[in-house]
Amino acid sequence: MAHECHNYRPITSRRDFLGRMGLGLGGVALASLVAMKPPPGPVARARRIIYLFQSGGPSQFELFDYKPLVNQMHGEELPASVRQGQRLTGMTGFQNSLPLARSHFDFAQHGQSGAWVSELMPHVASIADELCFVRSMHTEAINHDPAITFFLTGSQIAGRPSMGSWLSYGLGSENDNLPAFCVLITKDKSGQPLYSRLWGNGFLPSLHQGVQFRSGADPVLYLNNPEGVSAKVRRRMLTRLRELHELKAQEPGFEEIEARIAQYEMAYRMQTSVPDVMDLSDEPDHVVNMYGPDARNPGTFAANCLLARRLAECGVRFIQLFHQGWDHHGGLPGGIRVQCRETDQPSAALVTDLKQRGMLDDTLVVWGGEFGRTNYCQGRLTDEDYGRDHHPRCFTLWMAGGGVKAGLSYGRTDDFGYNIVQDPVHVHDLQATLLHILGIDHEKLTFKHQGRRYRLTDVHGHVTRALLV
Amino acid sequence: MRYHILAAFYIGLIAGCARGPDVEFNTDIRPILNERCVGCHGGIQRQGDLNLLFRSEATAMAESGKPAIVPGQPGQSELIRRVAHSDPEYRMPQDDAPLASEEVRALRQWIREGAAWEQHWAYVAPERPSVPAVSWPGWPQRDLDFFILARLDAEGLEPSPPAPCPTLVRRVTLDLTGLPPEPEATHAVCNGPLRYEQYVDQLLDSPRYGERWAAMWLDLARYADSKGYEKDIGRTIWRYRDWVVQAFNKDKPFDQFTVEQLAGDLLPNPSEDQLIATAFNRNTMTNTEGGTDDEEFRTAAVVDRVNTTWEVWQGTSFSCVQCHGHPYDPFRHHEYYEFFAFFNNTADRDFDDEYPTLPQFDEADVAEGAALLEELEALERAILRLAEEDAIAKARQLWETQLNRPEVIGQVRNMLQNEVRRVSLVPEAQRDAAQRTLIASVYARISPDSQLIALRERQGDIRRTMGELNPLQTPIMQELPAHQRRRTYVFERGSFLARGEEVTAGTPRALPPLPEDAPRNRLGMAQWLVSDANPLTARVTVNRFWEQLFGTGIVESLEDFGTQGYAPSHLELLDHLAVSLREDCAWSIKCLLRSIVTSSTYQQSSSVTPELKAADPYNRLLARGPRFRLSAEQIRDQALHVSGLLSPAMYGPPVMPPQPDGLWNNPYDGRRWTTSEGDDRYRRALYTYWRRTIPYPSMVTFDSPTREYCVSRRLRTNTPLQALVGLNDPVFVEAAQALARRMASRGEDAPSRLAAGYVLALAHMPNNKARQTLMSLYEEAEAHYREHPADAAALTGAAESAELAALTLAAQAILNLDSFLMKE
Repeated sequence: MAHECHNYRPITSRRDFLGRMGLGLGGVALASLVAMKPPPGPVARARRIIYLFQSGGPSQFELFDYKPLVNQMHGEELPASVRQGQRLTGMTGFQNSLPLARSHFDFAQHGQSGAWVSELMPHVASIADELCFVRSMHTEAINHDPAITFFLTGSQIAGRPSMGSWLSYGLGSENDNLPAFCVLITKDKSGQPLYSRLWGNGFLPSLHQGVQFRSGADPVLYLNNPEGVSAKVRRRMLTRLRELHELKAQEPGFEEIEARIAQYEMAYRMQTSVPDVMDLSDEPDHVVNMYGPDARNPGTFAANCLLARRLAECGVRFIQLFHQGWDHHGGLPGGIRVQCRETDQPSAALVTDLKQRGMLDDTLVVWGGEFGRTNYCQGRLTDEDYGRDHHPRCFTLWMAGGGVKAGLSYGRTDDFGYNIVQDPVHVHDLQATLLHILGIDHEKLTFKHQGRRYRLTDVHGHVTRALLV
Repeated sequence: MRYHILAAFYIGLIAGCARGPDVEFNTDIRPILNERCVGCHGGIQRQGDLNLLFRSEATAMAESGKPAIVPGQPGQSELIRRVAHSDPEYRMPQDDAPLASEEVRALRQWIREGAAWEQHWAYVAPERPSVPAVSWPGWPQRDLDFFILARLDAEGLEPSPPAPCPTLVRRVTLDLTGLPPEPEATHAVCNGPLRYEQYVDQLLDSPRYGERWAAMWLDLARYADSKGYEKDIGRTIWRYRDWVVQAFNKDKPFDQFTVEQLAGDLLPNPSEDQLIATAFNRNTMTNTEGGTDDEEFRTAAVVDRVNTTWEVWQGTSFSCVQCHGHPYDPFRHHEYYEFFAFFNNTADRDFDDEYPTLPQFDEADVAEGAALLEELEALERAILRLAEEDAIAKARQLWETQLNRPEVIGQVRNMLQNEVRRVSLVPEAQRDAAQRTLIASVYARISPDSQLIALRERQGDIRRTMGELNPLQTPIMQELPAHQRRRTYVFERGSFLARGEEVTAGTPRALPPLPEDAPRNRLGMAQWLVSDANPLTARVTVNRFWEQLFGTGIVESLEDFGTQGYAPSHLELLDHLAVSLREDCAWSIKCLLRSIVTSSTYQQSSSVTPELKAADPYNRLLARGPRFRLSAEQIRDQALHVSGLLSPAMYGPPVMPPQPDGLWNNPYDGRRWTTSEGDDRYRRALYTYWRRTIPYPSMVTFDSPTREYCVSRRLRTNTPLQALVGLNDPVFVEAAQALARRMASRGEDAPSRLAAGYVLALAHMPNNKARQTLMSLYEEAEAHYREHPADAAALTGAAESAELAALTLAAQAILNLDSFLMKE
């Protein structure tokens, strides 16, 4: 890698080699479960993904999908011909009237590409020419849990491996000090709960699970030594533990104890490498400032974006951020303003920062939620206030880097912003495309479980080649 | 009926095959069909209207107007013509490499010999195999040993010598109770008066036995203390967990164990215990997210019940058939929904209140509670009677005409809306009794009639009073009354929104039919599962217990005995154990386990020579004893046990041992993780609060599932996060502190104390080198803590004692030894 990571160490010994399997210390006995023969796949365009997941369903009407007709027809009933019997949630399903609601925020076109972005996202708008907007995303689920589970695991029903786990399984780790799949959640937010299944390994071996990094004293669970055990004492104790293991390893047939030794050695290295990577004090001011004032406050979305870049530098394969709070059934104008203040500048800064370091070429950044929102109002519609219900039929997501076309706005919704009229991209298509970008044929990355070969895209999904350079 | 005749026909063919033709369907033909053909001509896709899973369809006219297979006539069979075609345009498989010429030859010969479809072995009922002859008749102690040794003979391998006694005692104690042995017990067996068989009986009688095996069963039952999905609110269902512990401890025969869990409510005069048993299927998730369609998630729960039943008892990936015919195995799409119909008529419907539940009143309130329940039932009857009377019936008729208005139909709870609309379109005179009751009962809930209002208010009062008694409510299964019975339809592509043809309850044709006189309900279905005719249940069950003891099942894929699962390593052994469980043991699991752990196979040493390792790297042939990592539960329980902290308390509400702050961040839920006080901090892992979306960290780190759905097999992995748990999780730090105190009390000097700790943990003495290494660790640590007394106090949690601090660190090393984490 061109950029520097403080923790990078070359391979020097067999033990190091075992360690370099990252979290994959399966050892001989587990080889059959863990080893993934790299399937022949497309040429990789990126080596890692930073996924900025916006949980709750950001409203495309206030952010990216400009709909003058809805603005004009503000307060008028959604024509039945547009809805076509689409099922509604139990929250608006018994509402007597479905009045169209205009965006409270103005839109303008930006950059040479002329992408429409609202005034809520000035920083993102300023890098519009770096971004690839997909305005024609659609999904199947209409409630949060099934929708976010579907987005991140390919199935609405809990139990499948998450996207990052599939990548860890398919591509392994690029570093020997950190997990291949790291999860960062904005602190102190409320909204839909985030559950570990969203970064869980499902039926894949658990070494592929995402590891949550938390702001605060114990950034990875149980990373810190107990009170009264200094690093020096721990090192000596682990050396003796290793000697005990090596005694056993000398007995015939117990070679797999090497994996146990490597497991404890990597745990020890993580005790240094994780605090190192999370300590932002060595970042120059101009970089921190680019991410905005929140970046100095650990656990905020801004600080997590900066941390994501550092993890990417260290070769972490999949870095998943979660930012909650986009579920604006009511009080949308006020709510979304706060959300954008928290995410706009850091999201744009991340893309810019990666680009400045030459990392945008092999890093894919994705920004988006689990579904969109309705063009009609939920609850009382006033000039100043309104809400929007869940809408699975269309929503917008953007990507940057990693061989996707910059300055592209792909797909189109109808004038009501209700249905897609051109180039739909299903969630499974997006998943297939993301895997493709990392050099994986989504139909070939499979794991046999309960008699069936499973994959991230279930039995669906087509690579959306039009998004790729 | 037609299918039954065919099924009999297949079985007849198997018998007919005993003459031993050169080509056998299962070994020579099915692999070709599965690998090369059924992807396009099978259960999912039937291109050219051809399905090669069933003989009846493969020999029928296909789209081409020709049958693919004409038995006895390879020359007339389109299949042969197409696979042997020289023109790639016509040759099958399309756009793929042609079949090898031996494969074509085998297909030809097979068709010439009649194209007999053999049943896959797992769908033919097991028969007791004769015990094979072996090279070393003195080795076997149990019948099962003959099967193992015969195979080793065939492979030119020899069994390993017996394991050292302390190692064996630790192995069998962990296996049967989930805990390591007390040093005194090890001594009694290895040096003293207690015979191994007697010790095994003691372990089987220990209350710890039920806890250990419940831990396995609860993965299958997807037991958790929360409802799952987004909000993952708490659920009170621990009485079911306790039922499982008791059932194992009482050695409830596995057939009863099965029937009570699947259909205890349908038994005559079911006992409270039998009702609690049915909570097995109330462990499905409930979605309490706002705005969800309750019918969608009720259906999801029924689907889960079907899939779980097939995984647990039949080792079959039936979930495939939810969306389409099975890709490889002989199960048809509509058969999924026939089975679904067994489960589709219970009263639960994804409601937040978990209705129906079984109340348990405090002892003082039992009489009052029973009276209240009785009055509620009487009121319900009175309300129904009243609702069918004229005046109210008139108002209802008017109401029915307005059902197309959202605010009117909105008053009906979700799942009944469609049914109410449908019934309202049936002219009143043509409604049957069930339909009349349905609509009357729904209307009775919302009618403004003053008498009804009074009765409803009285109902409300009673419910309030009952609420004040605050009984423990455990969700159970309850069959719907006749007027509320649901229809079952095939769901096209598995979607509950796409209803196909209506079906009635039944079992798949590939398996023996339900007996004619069996009830067509869950009870009949459960009894069918454990009937002698069922070829799968006993096999799947013995295989599950075998896997727990040996680390790998005789069929490695515990969850898939179908044609795509792994072939059994010892089919005759599997059948021997299956028949023996049913006939010799009368379904007693203790009897099964006793026969296994007293076998020579089980008692072998797990040490392995390089040659044996090369010959059998995964120990499938069992020329050595098992060696594999303990389960998440065992790792916690063992650490607490050897340190003397483990609480022996059994049963009751789940407990909350220490976990890091801030994990429970669910904004919908005011519940907090409140660390349990006193002994409840140190209960067995089985009693830890299990929240599905935020499982207890050390459990998932050591590969436990989340219990969102049924899991047969935990994959064992090895990650640095596990090392961090063993070293730094406060639970394990406390265990080290306590073990250090125990060590201090068991020896006069450091070497004897270190040895005592080692023996407590591993049941055997350390060798000299291990002793020296532990001593070096101890001395270095002691020197350090002499200089840092505050650190010593922090580490021991009490005294500024360098000795105790050093012992604590040594205890940590012992608790993190590979040998400690493994069963050897």
